[in-house]
Amino acid sequence: MLDAYVTALGMVLDPYVLFVITASAIYGLVVGCIPGLSATMATALLVPLTFFMPPVPAIAAIVTTSTMAIFSGDIPGCLLRIPGTPASAAYVDDSYQMTLKGKPELALGIGLWFSVIGGLFGTAVMMVASPAIADFALGFGSVEFFWIVMLGLGGAVFIGSSTPLKACLSLLIGLLIAMIGMNNPAGQPRFTFDSTEMLGGVSLIPMMVGMFACSEVMRHMVSDGSAPHAVVQKIGPIFANMWRLTKQYPWQLIRGSALGTIIGIQPGSGADMAAWMSYAMSKRFSKEPEKFGTGHPEGLIEAGASNNSSLAGAWIPALVFGIPGDSITAIAIGVLMMKNMAPGPTIFVNNPENVYAVFLVFVIANLLMLPLGWAIIKVATRVLSVPRRVLMPIILLFAIVGSYAINNSLFDVGVMLAFGALAFVLEENDFPVAPVILGVVLGPLLEEYFINSMIKSDGRLIGLVDRPIAAVLAAITIGIIGWTILASLKSGKADKQPAQG
Amino acid sequence: MKFNDLLGGLVFLALSGLVAAASWSLPNPSEQPLGPSAFPLILSGLLALCAAILAINGARATQAGPLLGLADWARSGSALARLLLVPAAVIFYMLCAETLGFLICAPLILIVLFLAGGTRPLQAVGLSLAAALVIHSIFYLALGVQLPWGPLEPLRW
Repeated sequence: MLDAYVTALGMVLDPYVLFVITASAIYGLVVGCIPGLSATMATALLVPLTFFMPPVPAIAAIVTTSTMAIFSGDIPGCLLRIPGTPASAAYVDDSYQMTLKGKPELALGIGLWFSVIGGLFGTAVMMVASPAIADFALGFGSVEFFWIVMLGLGGAVFIGSSTPLKACLSLLIGLLIAMIGMNNPAGQPRFTFDSTEMLGGVSLIPMMVGMFACSEVMRHMVSDGSAPHAVVQKIGPIFANMWRLTKQYPWQLIRGSALGTIIGIQPGSGADMAAWMSYAMSKRFSKEPEKFGTGHPEGLIEAGASNNSSLAGAWIPALVFGIPGDSITAIAIGVLMMKNMAPGPTIFVNNPENVYAVFLVFVIANLLMLPLGWAIIKVATRVLSVPRRVLMPIILLFAIVGSYAINNSLFDVGVMLAFGALAFVLEENDFPVAPVILGVVLGPLLEEYFINSMIKSDGRLIGLVDRPIAAVLAAITIGIIGWTILASLKSGKADKQPAQG
Repeated sequence: MKFNDLLGGLVFLALSGLVAAASWSLPNPSEQPLGPSAFPLILSGLLALCAAILAINGARATQAGPLLGLADWARSGSALARLLLVPAAVIFYMLCAETLGFLICAPLILIVLFLAGGTRPLQAVGLSLAAALVIHSIFYLALGVQLPWGPLEPLRW
């Protein structure tokens, strides 16, 4: 193991990799800082570039960008009361109140300092837990993996979503998209409409760029797009008071980091849910809950640590089982597969150095966040004034060229547009988009595990649950689904008023 | 575009029917008990189930509104026009990139989009040339992607 870590360190400390990490860090910080450009969009736009990189820098770019963007989403939340990414929405009131009180440096300092600690906490858990879980999972067969994928998809649809039925439909659309092409156990072309371009299935990169970048450009086009103005221009010393706050609220810090990691591990819920739950928990256990929402540091500390720790947590199921916890890890898994590093327990045996390199990138990215985060906060008021009406057309052009670049194919540009339009229409009608991408990434695996399991058991469904671990996983999955359906039936009866408009 | 849940459910129901029909006819050359049609059929069944529930919920909702409502932004003609510029720009690129080349096509798209967003004309021209050159350099010089040159072929660098 130590040998593998030494090899991994050598891979990460390569000048090219360090350059990629630094560049993606700056890119992630800037994009996350601009309201209306989400961390997911930042990551999706980067994917075409990672296509041209070797595996380790490609993954490093994804990890670094998402980590930085989740932190810097706090900046516009604090200065403008507009969260830069959904993960910062939970505590935007507290941080904006601090700004109004003339202490933006305190809110931003907390965001930075406790994001770093939370991120390192989550990374430490990931480094210890994932090899152990992978070791345990080595004995899993197709049946166990079938249920793990089901659990991941079930969690995404039934836990991470406010409208389970619509999330379910989104997921099924994704799974059906995954059926296109000949990438199935029978090797038979399906739903290709006799087009040779479709034989290999829908290409993942143009699809992701379309769903997460093109659709956001469309959404910008129909919004009023007026650039908000920051109320403060001057930001004081950032790291002052941080050590005092760490000593004052150690328990909140640990609780936020731990809860964030757990929520990250649990498939289907990511940084946004981690922040909301940690903020609520902080308020619930606080000695002075009445101060929450008025510029009180306690909730900021707990939720700020939580959303960054969840990022590392989400990588545990992603690396060990190939199950994405949210859209960012879904993108990352797509990149891993593209680089012939398909995640799963065997990757820990066959290429441990690659996995450890991912761990080390997390550590470096979090440490790098201190100086670079400090720098972005210092120039934040200027970054915030970059008008979106200038950025959005450039993003669209980047999306076009990025989709084209993978195969030099204009067909892929069309795929990008089609999925952009699909995501836009879905979101307009309150269908979540993340389950679509989860379905597309996991669809081929789910089918393969299902068909293999059924062949092993001669087509009897009991074969899916007659091994103990599979039975336990099945029970959890069915429990989550059943419980959600029951709960929605109950709440439907409790208030007869139609909730949907 | 806002669909009523009833309409959305019916659209998905139709989709599930189409998928099921297309799956039935898939050949199964290796004579497996579960051939290539098995999994899509299961999915189309689940899709039909969810779509039916959505349609029923939509039909039950009393204040459901029209079948195909318009979001607030769609009532304003200019917002709709700006939205349609996005697919128009992408389709323009797909049709004209090979003949016009990237360095003509891309600035044209950017200028139109900048002007539609309210950027001043001179600024729009400068920005679009600069942005197109930067993106061209990233993909052509740094990544070696063969972007089309079109009539600028003699200038290729």
